[in-house]
Amino acid sequence: MNFNELGIILFNITVILCSFSTIGYLSSLLIKRVRLAKISTWILFFAFGFLTINLLSILFNSSGFINPGSRDFLSLCAWSICAVYLALQVKTKTRVLGAFISPFILLFLIAAAGQEAGRTLLPDNLRSPLTSVHLFLTIVGEALFIIASCAGVMFITQDWLLKNKKLSRMIKLLPSLNDLDRINHICLVWGFPVLSVGIIAGAVFAELSWASGWLKDPKIIWTFAGWIIYGFLLHQRLAIGWRGYRMALISGAAFILLLISYGSVRFCFSTLHNFI
Amino acid sequence: MIVLTGLNHKTAPVAVREKIFSGCQKKSDLLPSLLSLNGVNEVLYISTCNRVEIIASIEESGNALKDLKDFLTRNGGLTEKETAGCFYEYRNEEAVRHLFRVASSLDSMVMGEAQILGQVKEAYREALEKYATGVVLNRLMHCSFRAAKRVRSETGIAVNPVSVSHAAVELAKKIFGSLDGKKILLIGAGEMAELTGQQLISKGAQSIIVANRSLAQAELLAEKFHGEAAPLDALEAKLVEADIVISSTGAPDFIVTADMLRRIHHRRKNRLLFLIDIAVPRDIEPAASSLENVYLYNIDNLQDIVDENMNVRKKEAVKAEMIVEEEVARYINWQKELESVPTIVSLRNKAEEIVKDEMDKASGWMNNLSQADQEKIDILVKSIVNKVLHAPVTVLKEESSDISSRDIVAAVRRLFRLD
Repeated sequence: MNFNELGIILFNITVILCSFSTIGYLSSLLIKRVRLAKISTWILFFAFGFLTINLLSILFNSSGFINPGSRDFLSLCAWSICAVYLALQVKTKTRVLGAFISPFILLFLIAAAGQEAGRTLLPDNLRSPLTSVHLFLTIVGEALFIIASCAGVMFITQDWLLKNKKLSRMIKLLPSLNDLDRINHICLVWGFPVLSVGIIAGAVFAELSWASGWLKDPKIIWTFAGWIIYGFLLHQRLAIGWRGYRMALISGAAFILLLISYGSVRFCFSTLHNFI
Repeated sequence: MIVLTGLNHKTAPVAVREKIFSGCQKKSDLLPSLLSLNGVNEVLYISTCNRVEIIASIEESGNALKDLKDFLTRNGGLTEKETAGCFYEYRNEEAVRHLFRVASSLDSMVMGEAQILGQVKEAYREALEKYATGVVLNRLMHCSFRAAKRVRSETGIAVNPVSVSHAAVELAKKIFGSLDGKKILLIGAGEMAELTGQQLISKGAQSIIVANRSLAQAELLAEKFHGEAAPLDALEAKLVEADIVISSTGAPDFIVTADMLRRIHHRRKNRLLFLIDIAVPRDIEPAASSLENVYLYNIDNLQDIVDENMNVRKKEAVKAEMIVEEEVARYINWQKELESVPTIVSLRNKAEEIVKDEMDKASGWMNNLSQADQEKIDILVKSIVNKVLHAPVTVLKEESSDISSRDIVAAVRRLFRLD
């Protein structure tokens, strides 16, 4: 068995485990059983393990580069969200969050499955350690924001249930408002500096290798807009004391706005970042 | 025969219950006295605030059951006339079922409450200490614990709170997660507010501030919780500190208004605020509910939760009754098996006796054989006896759970002349 075959097997196991985990998480919401969410967390943990081995072997074989045009890049996106989510599990034990996060992880993995694996497609002009730093940190930063927004959506749901006295089993399944607000806080506090460093690394690389013109790239403009929105949110949270409902609402809205803008940029404009 | 007699909140007025309860409580040699009654083999005494019950294994013939009831009446300083109609009595399967229902909290005043199992376990522990139980009751009690445990884990009978104060605590947990370090503000010094405050403190809430029109009364209650007392004029300042507010004054107007909360919103740094209004007329303006990060529940909202949870418990009770039935059947099977055990033992003893007699008779010529040959014959004889007895013993064990087991036991006893 050669390296490529092993990589494909590891990737396939990851996709299967992640599918089971997603089904488990969504079912736990439907049948309102926390136990199922716990089992799904374990399945996701194993999926994360396989994906980590897969990515480590890829990094080892490609001397530290991840090709942004290949399956490996999207796998890294899925891995980052998964890592952030599992790390949060250790801190907050809010497993139901998985029902909102695991579909994103699965989507990235499915998108990755559609791409070709391997390093032959790696463009020469992207060969720099800075691109690796840029890619990794931007993805982790975005993953943190995705989770902050998911926690926000869950907060809004739980808030609505509590305000309207809809004390169904759903309310028992969702984490407490305080826990959700804490997740939002942790993700913003960590996500913003990580994304900032990621963007700076990208900017330095672009300035060094492309010199000019890159600032007009639509995706860079939108990423910058997203960075400003999250920066604003973090400022409001830390300096003004925003928390709870307003924070959840705005982080959810910001996320949807960024998703729409990303979609429109991806399909309507040509961009330097045409790999995602 | 297993019997159960006693009285509870459904059959006897509190005046009768309390007399019997305290009469028995005072008696230090209660279990030995019960055991000394004619025909009582094993006994166990359960008493809670709502029930006094005696479970006993007694001889079938005799008046042991009546003696047990008389014992309770006498100890309560009551006459038979006064306790007429108060006692219930159950025999065998009925008694087992009743005990299992009691242990599973299906017979309690508040169905699904958790304390009863602890009380039954305590009663059993006392009986064990006094050597008042034997094979029958030991097994019965262990089965009752298993039934109660199954009911608790396999049904949702005890999942949802059925008191207003518990419902408030559950809601607080849904808002704050952990109550550690949370500050409670009691407005008014009502009993219900005090009870809810107590529950919240027991779940980890940090401190209590009592705000009341009469400062003296506030200080009295605050002292109880090692908290802080404040006059109603200082309410706004105290609302800034609080995470959970429980209001129960008799004031005719709103004490906490939406405007007041709006004013302190920034000083509170937008922290989550849980308002519990158990006063009638209401103390907190309903418009407060529409404010951001403010969650307001009045007494009706809490009562609705309690009613809804009670309905859930009633539905779960159907499942619980089925579990109790399964466990009753299991116990009765064991008991029937127990009935065939003495016959099996007698059968084996008889066979061993015959072997011993015949071996003694043959000892004259067997002594001429070598030691090894004698041992071989011994093994051979025992093996034949075992094979011959195997079929009747198996049938006795298998059929013991069947209704016709008594006939089979009787037939075996007659065939082998065991009596």
